[in-house]
Amino acid sequence: MYYKIIRNDISKSKLITLTTTIFIAAAAMLVTLSAILVVNLSGAIDSLMKQAKTPHFLQMHSGDIDTVRLKDFAEKNSHVDEFQVLEFLNIDSAKIVIDRNSLADNVQDNGFSTQSEKFDYLLDLDGNIINVSDGEIYVPVGYFKDGTAKVGDKVVIDEKKFTVAGFLRDSQMNSLLASSKRFLVSENDYAEIKDYGSTEYLIEFRLKDLSEIGTFEAAYTSAGLEVNGPTITYPLFKMLNAISDGLMIAVILLVSVLVVAIAFMCIRFTLLAKIEDDYREIGVMKAIGLRVSDIKKLYLAKYTVIAAVGSTLGFALSFLFRGMLLENIRLYMGESENSSIAIIFGIIGMLLVFLAIIAYVSKVLKRFRKISAAEAIRFGALQEKSAGAKRFCLSRNRLLHTNIFLGVKDVLARKGLYATMLAVLVISTFIIIVPQNLSNTISSKSFITYMGIGNSDIRIDIQQTDHISKKAAEIIRTLEHDSTISKHTLLTTKSFKAKTENGSEERIKIELGDHSIFPVEYSKGRAPVKEDEIALSAINADELGKKVGDGMTLVIDGKENKLTVSGIYSDISNGGKTAKAVFPDHSADIMWCVIYAKLSDKSLAADKTSEYANKFNFAKISGIDEYITQTFGSTISSVDKASTAAIIIALIITILITILFMKLLIAKDRYPIAVMKAFGFTNSDIMAQYMSRAVFVLIIGIILGTFLANTLGEVLAGAVISSFGASSFHFAVNPLTAYLLSPLMMISSVLIATIIGTSGAGKIKISEHIKE
Amino acid sequence: MKKIIICEHIEKSFGEGNEKRNVLDGVSVEINEGEFVSIMGPSGSGKSTLMYAVSGMDSIDSGKVSFEGKNLSTLREKELADIRRTEMGFVFQQPTMLKNLNILDNIILPSIRDNRKSATKITEKARVLMEKVGIGELEKRDITQVSGGQLQRAGICRALISNPKIIFGDEPTGALNSKSAQEIMDIISEINTEGTAVMLVTHDAKIAARTERILFMCDGKIVSEMRFKKYNGSDIDDRMKKVTAKMRELGI
Ligand SMILES: Nc1ncnc2c1ncn2[C@@H]1O[C@H](COP(=O)(O)OP(=O)(O)OP(=O)(O)O)[C@@H](O)[C@H]1O
Ligand SMILES: [Mg+2]
Repeated sequence: MYYKIIRNDISKSKLITLTTTIFIAAAAMLVTLSAILVVNLSGAIDSLMKQAKTPHFLQMHSGDIDTVRLKDFAEKNSHVDEFQVLEFLNIDSAKIVIDRNSLADNVQDNGFSTQSEKFDYLLDLDGNIINVSDGEIYVPVGYFKDGTAKVGDKVVIDEKKFTVAGFLRDSQMNSLLASSKRFLVSENDYAEIKDYGSTEYLIEFRLKDLSEIGTFEAAYTSAGLEVNGPTITYPLFKMLNAISDGLMIAVILLVSVLVVAIAFMCIRFTLLAKIEDDYREIGVMKAIGLRVSDIKKLYLAKYTVIAAVGSTLGFALSFLFRGMLLENIRLYMGESENSSIAIIFGIIGMLLVFLAIIAYVSKVLKRFRKISAAEAIRFGALQEKSAGAKRFCLSRNRLLHTNIFLGVKDVLARKGLYATMLAVLVISTFIIIVPQNLSNTISSKSFITYMGIGNSDIRIDIQQTDHISKKAAEIIRTLEHDSTISKHTLLTTKSFKAKTENGSEERIKIELGDHSIFPVEYSKGRAPVKEDEIALSAINADELGKKVGDGMTLVIDGKENKLTVSGIYSDISNGGKTAKAVFPDHSADIMWCVIYAKLSDKSLAADKTSEYANKFNFAKISGIDEYITQTFGSTISSVDKASTAAIIIALIITILITILFMKLLIAKDRYPIAVMKAFGFTNSDIMAQYMSRAVFVLIIGIILGTFLANTLGEVLAGAVISSFGASSFHFAVNPLTAYLLSPLMMISSVLIATIIGTSGAGKIKISEHIKE
Repeated sequence: MKKIIICEHIEKSFGEGNEKRNVLDGVSVEINEGEFVSIMGPSGSGKSTLMYAVSGMDSIDSGKVSFEGKNLSTLREKELADIRRTEMGFVFQQPTMLKNLNILDNIILPSIRDNRKSATKITEKARVLMEKVGIGELEKRDITQVSGGQLQRAGICRALISNPKIIFGDEPTGALNSKSAQEIMDIISEINTEGTAVMLVTHDAKIAARTERILFMCDGKIVSEMRFKKYNGSDIDDRMKKVTAKMRELGI
């Protein structure tokens, strides 16, 4: 009997059944995909880091190094399992020429290494430890992905020639967000090119027990060892590896939640409409003594079939897209060990979608309990009472055209039904606006101020060289005499000892200079202006347990100085652990200098950058736009793509759902339509009424959706962004697209969909519906 | 006498092939301005179909319907709707009202579509009409909050709101008890004496006896016709006798 009822029901409502199935399939597909991707990504990262034996603790260091003292420390420290110091030959990117193109425009710190002996191996694309011969060079896999290099290309460094033998996976520096990239050459070749650049040291440790990393880090700092460079630990490496694909998974998961929500809305709308239609029958069934659970089963059966078909279909579809989405993970990290587990998780994901649908249908069907048999038989229809609608009278209406009035009135009178459509439109607006705002925000120039970088036109880095202060002063003199430079500042980073709460000392890098010229975004407080003030990066503030207004003791030139925390800002540079202060200091060594400059005419940026690059070859000079594109380039372009995709998806959803709802409404409203036609309303009047309903709901939807996008959406996007190290976050909204173009797109889609959806109203015959 | 409706030989059928049946089988009727016509006939004889055809609500297969000289089958949907809204009024057996609107809004709906500016005037007129049919105090009520007879009176107000030339009534008193039915007939008669033509479908001889002309339908044809003088409230028994005799003769 169920079979027959289900078949009849489905054949009577093919369109809505199909749409609901499609949404369930899409939801199941996305959930399955994200389950599979999560398992694969974490598996791939684990196996990459296991094969490569990634260091647990890395201290980068430039300048003199005392290896004997380090070795001594490693042997005495009980946590250390293995220890090594690797060399990293930093060569000016302009001197690296791949296939006749130099890497001059590349903002990564490109450098050369030899294969290490104990751990931190560089792997080939099959996951094996590379054995490199003389004359060969292995290039970071990122340059394969972006097409910079291919196997067989000639690489020239100064005068030395290499042939690209393959590509390497670097468990430390794979990610674009890790600012250095290692090329692999043989020991002999390394010795030959050693004079072309400056050597930096990677002081690496593997511990017996990874959980002791905090204790070890403290021990390293208090031992007063080499610290002239960023410190990175195992968890951060892991995060860097996970971030870009992790973001993609997060987006897929978010979209799947929305699709599930839309599937729910479809189901709710159909069920409510069906219950309204069947109201009298349900009453009769109750009256003749059928149990509510029996009646529920009749309705539930159909959705069990739809949900089963949809989720199975979605699971099957996920196999189609899996390869495509796993491609990046496979390239950068290799095959995961647990791909069979991934399938199991995929199945679990699919089952979750299925169960969620069934649970939701059951919940909607709870309404049956409220139906009174007597009322159902007497009135035959659900009496929806809404106070607001009652006061809204045609006889008092002077403002709206009658058709518009009737449309709006209907929406007010049947809020429950239209709430469903509203929810879908709110979701669509949300999906359109949030990625758009996000993309607009991260491609806006001011975004870098969230990342701890001042908003300027040119950034000049002086590091890994000697006489930094003299060289910096030379550049500053030039800038001062350059009339195209409107303002500039010099920020010098030095390392100081800070006293922690428990009396121990910790090294902290402080950027000294005037921070008011190119301010960064402070999540709390403000920039330091007085000599006894200091601003901390979010991660530092967190680790030191400081809030704005707290005191802090620094050891400067052997004396203890009291400073007050004036502000906290986000930072992604240098492992996120930085500080800013204005006090003058001549005691400590300069680690590096950064000079920011703003041009009076922005369009000169490219010319100026190359002019200065030629003049000061010891400094790294980058236009900020370039800096942004190369640091966040792939993120911006994937967010851009995602936002275009989101707009298309949202518009398709809007059109589909609107057509569907309109068709259903027309089917339900046959009688009132016939009545209106009998009393002289034309087909275009009816159409106008339905358009008014749709547009009225849409306007509320757009307002709500935009509001939600700018509040909840901002929080969500902020959560994503904060995984980069930024802590305070505000959308940079482009009002033209967000408040004009997007609503216009929505309105035109809804209008087109309404015209299509209500075309059936013209065919409704008066005589067939007003039967005498 | 000027004729407002002229039907010439209209035919209409439903169904296809073997199932095909002529529901209107060459019907010709003329209705004069201000005339009070009723149609009687057994169930399924085509009375409602004729009324839908005459008012342009349904298409016909062949023949011609003219309303005030305009051939309805040549008019577009919009023009037909305009005529129905401005020149015709309808009262059906079941109250055909929109659930969303209250009684007053339902009444003014057809008229306010064109004259939103004069909403105050239209509302005033509706109040007068409602007063006249005895439902003056119900204007704010929902359509589910009044009785069937009250709803039917509201329906008459709606039919009258745009001063139509003719009112069509398809068994407007069919769902009412005889006391309410007579009251409704009193109202309709009064409207008729004020100059509006009325075309009424009814099964009730007592109702039909109050009209000027009775058309008897059988199997899609008008089989007989009966004429009276305008009803003045006196000779109802006599007229009824004649009608029932005719009905018996025709086997209705
Ligand atoms: N849409 C339709 N499709 C098929 N047949 C129809 C349709 N509408 C009416 N009919 C048939 O046409 C015939 C005439 O119907 P109509 O409604 O005009 O009868 P009627 O005289 O008004 O009857 P009643 O007194 O019962 O209201 C009936 O036999 C009916 O079955
Ligand atoms: Mg009939």
